[in-house]
Amino acid sequence: MSLDVHQMGIPGSYPALFVIWLLPLAGAIACWAFGPQLKRYAGVLGSAVIGAAFIAALVSWNIATQDSGSQLGAEQHLFTWLQGFDFGLLLDPLSLIWVLIITGVGFLIHLYSVGYMWNDNAIARFFAYMNFFVFAMLTLVLSDNFVGLLVGWGLVGLASYFLIGFWFFKPSAVAAARKAFVLNVVGDVGIMFAIFIMIAKVGSVRFADVFANPHALDPWLFWTCVFLFIGAAAKSAQLPLHTWLPDAMEGPTPVSALIHAATMVTAGVYLVARCAPLWLASHEAQILVGTVGALTALAGALLGIAQWDIKRILAYSTMSQIGYMIMGVGVGAFSAGVAHFFTHAFFKACLFLGSGIIIHELSDEQDIRLMGGMRKRTPVAFWSMLSAVLAISGAPFFSGYFSKDQVIYGDIEHGDLWLWAIGLLTAGITAYYMFRLFFVTFMGTYRGDLKPADVGIETEVAASTAAIKHETSEPHAEDHTHAPAWLMAVPVAILGFFSFAAGYVMLPGNSPWAHFFAHSFPLERLPASTISEGVTTGIAIVMLIIGAGIAYWRYATPEALQNAPERLKRESETLPAILVRLFYWDDVIDWLFVKPSQKLGDFFGQWFDPHFVDGVVREVVFSNRFLGTVVRSFQTGLLRAYALIIVFGAACFAVYYALEGAMR
Amino acid sequence: MPHESLLPVALINYISLSLVIFLIGVAGVVLRRNPLIMLMSIELMWNAANLLFLAFARAWLNNAGHIFAFLVITVAAAEAAIGLAIVVVVFRSRENVDVDEVAILKG
Repeated sequence: MSLDVHQMGIPGSYPALFVIWLLPLAGAIACWAFGPQLKRYAGVLGSAVIGAAFIAALVSWNIATQDSGSQLGAEQHLFTWLQGFDFGLLLDPLSLIWVLIITGVGFLIHLYSVGYMWNDNAIARFFAYMNFFVFAMLTLVLSDNFVGLLVGWGLVGLASYFLIGFWFFKPSAVAAARKAFVLNVVGDVGIMFAIFIMIAKVGSVRFADVFANPHALDPWLFWTCVFLFIGAAAKSAQLPLHTWLPDAMEGPTPVSALIHAATMVTAGVYLVARCAPLWLASHEAQILVGTVGALTALAGALLGIAQWDIKRILAYSTMSQIGYMIMGVGVGAFSAGVAHFFTHAFFKACLFLGSGIIIHELSDEQDIRLMGGMRKRTPVAFWSMLSAVLAISGAPFFSGYFSKDQVIYGDIEHGDLWLWAIGLLTAGITAYYMFRLFFVTFMGTYRGDLKPADVGIETEVAASTAAIKHETSEPHAEDHTHAPAWLMAVPVAILGFFSFAAGYVMLPGNSPWAHFFAHSFPLERLPASTISEGVTTGIAIVMLIIGAGIAYWRYATPEALQNAPERLKRESETLPAILVRLFYWDDVIDWLFVKPSQKLGDFFGQWFDPHFVDGVVREVVFSNRFLGTVVRSFQTGLLRAYALIIVFGAACFAVYYALEGAMR
Repeated sequence: MPHESLLPVALINYISLSLVIFLIGVAGVVLRRNPLIMLMSIELMWNAANLLFLAFARAWLNNAGHIFAFLVITVAAAEAAIGLAIVVVVFRSRENVDVDEVAILKG
C-alpha cells in the first residue's frame, strides 16, 4: 500500500467554508420564521441560498484541491470542545464532491420543488425543512472529526424524519417517518460505539489523528470498522437495515429525490470512503462491506422487479445502486464507488423528479399499471428519464456505464470473483426492471381510465390511495394557480443531460476524475487481474442487452402493448410471493424485534406497573393510614382529657425533680 | 440562703398554700364540665404561681419575681378574654356549654 495519501487539510482561515455551511441554515431559519409572510417566496429564498452555497462551493474548488505535499484540502478550526478535542471544517476533494452534489443537485431539486409544492399551503415549512436538511448534510461531509460527523449524521436523520412525515395527516407517512428514524438511530449508535473505541485507543476523534495509524485501534480495529459500517448500512439502506427506504417514499417526491436518492442515503458511501485507511488496514472488514454491498445490490434489484408503485421501484433501485457504491468502496475501489455516487446523483434525481412530473400530471397516481402512454403527455419526463434509464442500466456512453464498470471491474481487480459476478448479474436485472418501468409507464396507451381490477390491482387500499390523498390533503391555497411549467421541466432536463454527460469526466486512463482524487485514497499495488476490463465491459453490455431485451419482449412489443391490461393483470397475479412480500424481511423484523418489544411493553404496562410500581405506592399509603389510625386515637376531642394529660405530664416532671432532689 | 426573717411567716407556709390552691385549680379543670368554672380554676392556678413568685421574690430579695407576677397577671387577663370569647361563641351556636359535648375536633 502506498502512503501517498494526504488526509489532513491545510489549517487556515477559509471564510468560504462558513458561507457554504451556514447559508442553508440561515435560509432554513428565515423560511421557518417568516413562512406566513413569505408564502411561495419561501421557495425562491430557499432555492437561492442553496444556489449561492453551490457557487461558494465552486469558488472553493482551489482551496479544496490545494496540496502542500503532505496535506490536502482546507481545514478551518471552529472551536475546542474539550481539551484535545477540536472541532473544525474540512474541505478536501472527497468532501468537495459531496458538497457540489448536495448543493448543485440540491439547487435543481429546490427549484423543482417550487413548482411541485406550488399549491401546498405548507410550502414555507417544506423549504425550511429542505434547507435544514442541506445544512445538516453539509455538517456531515464538512466535519473534520467523527463527533462532528455524527452530529451531522443525526441531523440528517432528523431532517429525513421531518420530510418523510411532511404530510403528517397521512398515517402511513407518520409510520414511515418513525420507522426511518428508529432504523437510523440504530446506525447512529453504531457510530457512537466506534467513537468510544477511538477515544479509548487513540484519544482523539479527528480524522487526521485516527487515520495516521489505523493499527493503534488494534485489537479493536475490525470492530471499529464494523460499528462504523452499522452506521453506514442504516443510513444507506444496506441489508439488513434497508426496510425504511421504500417506506420513506411517503414523503413528497422532491424529498425522495434529494434525500432518499441523491444525497443522504449515500452518506454511508462517504463514511466508508472517508475511512479508507481503516478499511485498508482490516481486510475482514473489507470483505464484510463488499459482501453486504453486493448482496444489497442484488436484493434491491430483485425486489425492484416485483413492485408496481413507481416511487417504490425507484427506491429499490436506489438501494441496489447504493449497494454497488458500498461494494466499490468496500473492496477498496474507493474512487470507483465515489464515481458511482457522482453519476447516480444525477440519474436517480432525474428519475425521481421525472416520475414526480408524471405523478403531478396524473393527480397523485403512483401505480404504473394505471399509467401508460405518458410519452406524449409528459415529453420532458420521457426524454430525460430515457437518458436516466439508459444511464442506470449502464448503456454505453451514458454516465452510469463508466461508473458502474469501474465498480464491477474494481471487484475483479481486487480479486473478488464472486462480487464481480454478482455485480454483472445485478446489472442485467437492473436493466430489466428499469426498462420495465420505462415501457409500462411511457409506452402504449393510457390505462388510468380503466378499472383498477382490470389491470390486476387487487387491494382496495392500493386502488384508492390516490383518492384518499385527495380527500385528506390540506386545503389548497385559495388562489389555485398552476406553477410555470419550466420550474419543473428545466431541472429535470438539466439532470437528464448530466445523466448522459457526467461520465465523461471519468473516462478510463488519465481522466480529470483520477487526477482529482489522485491523493485522496491510498493506492494499492494490485496484481494484474484475471479478467480484463474489456471483457468485464463486454459482459456488462451483454447483460444489459439481455435485461432490456426481456423487458422489451414482455412489455413493449406491439403485441404486448395491445394486450397490456390483460398482461399486467396476469403478471400481478403470478408474481412470486417471496418478492411481493419483500423476502419476508419486514415480517422477520416484526417477529424478532417489534413483537417482543410490544410484549415487553405489555408486561410493563399490564403487570409490572400495576403490581410493582403501584404496589410500592400503595404500601406507602397503607403504612401512613395505619400510623394515622394509631395517632388519631389520642385525639378524643374531650377538653378535660387533654387537661388530664397535661396534668399527668406536669406531675411526671414534679416527681422526677422531687426524686432527683431526694437523691442528691 | 433565703432571708426568711423578712417574711411575716415561714416560706414553707407560702409554698404549701400555693400548692393547695394549684391542686384545687387542677381539680376544677379536670373534674368540672362548665367552661366558666374551668376558666376560674385556671385563674386559681395562675394565682398559685403568682403567690410563689412573690414569696420567693421577698425571700431572695430579687425583684424579678415581682416583674413576673405582673406579666402573669397580664397574660391571665388576655387568656380570660380569649377563653370567655370562645365560651360566648360556643354558647351562641349550641345553647349548651358542657365541654364534654363540644368534641367536634375528635380525630
